[in-house]
Amino acid sequence: MIGSIPLGDVLLVSAALFSIGTAGVLLRRNAIQIFLSIELMMNAANLALIGYGAALGTHEGQVIVFFVIAIAAAEASVGLAIFVALFRHTETIDVNKINLLKW
Amino acid sequence: MTLVDWLIVILRVALPALIFPVLVIPLTWVERRGAAFIQDRLGPNRVGPFGLFQAIADMLKMFTKEAVTPANADKPLFLLAPAIAAFAALSTFAIVPYGATLKIDGREIELIGADVSIGILYSFAIVSLSVYAIVLAGWSSNNKFSLMGAIRSSAQIISYELAMTTAAAGVVLAASSFRLNDIIAMQMRPMPFVGFIPQWNIFIQPLGFIIFLVSAFAETNRLPFDLPEAEPELVAGYHTEYSAMRFGTFQMAEYVNVVVSCAITVTLYLGGWSLPGFHPESILGVVISILILAVKTAILVWIFVWVRWTLPRFRYDQLMRLGWKALLPLALVNLLWVAAIEMARMAR
Amino acid sequence: MTIQRLVFDAAGLIAILFGGLMVVARNAVRGVLTLVVAFFALAVCYVMLLSPFIAAVQVIVYAGAILVLFLFVLMLLNIGHMPPERSGRPMQTFLGSVGVLVFAALLLGTLRGAGAAIPATTGMDPAALADPASLSRQFFSEYLLHFEAVSVLLLAALVGAFVLARREKKP
Repeated sequence: MIGSIPLGDVLLVSAALFSIGTAGVLLRRNAIQIFLSIELMMNAANLALIGYGAALGTHEGQVIVFFVIAIAAAEASVGLAIFVALFRHTETIDVNKINLLKW
Repeated sequence: MTLVDWLIVILRVALPALIFPVLVIPLTWVERRGAAFIQDRLGPNRVGPFGLFQAIADMLKMFTKEAVTPANADKPLFLLAPAIAAFAALSTFAIVPYGATLKIDGREIELIGADVSIGILYSFAIVSLSVYAIVLAGWSSNNKFSLMGAIRSSAQIISYELAMTTAAAGVVLAASSFRLNDIIAMQMRPMPFVGFIPQWNIFIQPLGFIIFLVSAFAETNRLPFDLPEAEPELVAGYHTEYSAMRFGTFQMAEYVNVVVSCAITVTLYLGGWSLPGFHPESILGVVISILILAVKTAILVWIFVWVRWTLPRFRYDQLMRLGWKALLPLALVNLLWVAAIEMARMAR
Repeated sequence: MTIQRLVFDAAGLIAILFGGLMVVARNAVRGVLTLVVAFFALAVCYVMLLSPFIAAVQVIVYAGAILVLFLFVLMLLNIGHMPPERSGRPMQTFLGSVGVLVFAALLLGTLRGAGAAIPATTGMDPAALADPASLSRQFFSEYLLHFEAVSVLLLAALVGAFVLARREKKP
């Protein structure tokens, strides 16, 4: 493979990061921590995309990851804005306690 | 290891990494004597001839002071913040070519830490990491004034980062490359109609130069943008609770940032190590090119010191308004201007 | 085992380690900081995979802007110090852990043999792959519509975030 890094290594790291992110999403109750774990999962996917792009010798991996990073920035800002608005109403960041659709 | 190998290690690894803490010492002297002369007084002139050893006396004082940690401070973060500041300040210089290529024994040694293809973008990445030092320092001090100063300072840095990178985008567009060597090579060509003036970017993109310089002032927290650390304002902003060598690390990081920002500004806009009509081939030529960069950087550093002790500081809302509503649109205008020039050049 | 593979493995290990530290972090500020280190290690991985431009973008945008935004929110709302509370639902924690372990096993098992089927001599040479100029030519030719669409998306996100986080005017 060009770049001399075997794709198996890249996928191993990516899978491990993705699993750790999933663990964070399922097991933490702090809303910000859940959000951070989602960001970790997105980065794991980015790594896999770039790994395949390097293995196939094409620019598409980098192009897609560029767009994913931009979209993640947009999503993080909107998500945090929602979180701030929610926090002002409920005064808690425990997702198990935010269980009403309307108050 | 032959002599050439040792030279490579020294010139490409040791020098870019280690020269700056050494350069901070004469810079503090320049700052204090320069400030004094601008303010019509003498400044330090007792310790050594012309007060030259004052900086060493200051360093000894800082080393021997007691380092106080606030009671409820988050200790690991408190100790980490100056380390991040120093790391960011010292890493920025890695991509700046500080002289012409040295040809020795049939091998070529480029006087640059790492000639990566992303060049100047690496510096901007490290600058955006330096925000963490400030935010962590303010947060971990367990002090409301530190937190306010940290939030203001980091908001200032990320706002002016935009204008700075957009202004630098004009330079990158003109040179079609991120590498600073290519940018200097582009500036070594003579101007089309007036033969002897080189195509320095300050002549082609004067608006970009002004925006980059103002943003460099804001990025290094120097007056007129030093609201976060001004004495009458927020005690000392984000480094209020730091004492002794931890504070010394922050000061060193700030001075190193000033010198490196000046070096990068010189390389992007004022031709770097080149002078019109000067193409260095021999070892002496390379040494002269290093001196040329040093002299240009020294002039720009003096301008930084001069401005600091001349202008009043901006209020925080004036500062943010300047960054977002004035500098960023002007930087976009500069980008359009450079694009127009490039199209005219391609059409000819 | 070349030097690039060694660096990639080391950086990948650091990323996994700090990702794990983020998940078990005591409070949200620690979580953000460990994630900064993990993202920086991932940027090193990207450089080893011949994508220096994406590595720079990762550090500037992800580590240097998004996580700073997280820190700002945590500090302005003063919620960074909160320690994790005891979960009142042990069965949920147990089932969640089992589920994640099964998922990780399935994922690692599936992906272990995935890299073998790619032929070794496709595509462009490494120098062209790592060159930002040829990458940016892609953005402005084949992916121009995507580029412009993402810029509109960023504008929408900007306006949306501003509107959502605004304090309502008291009548």
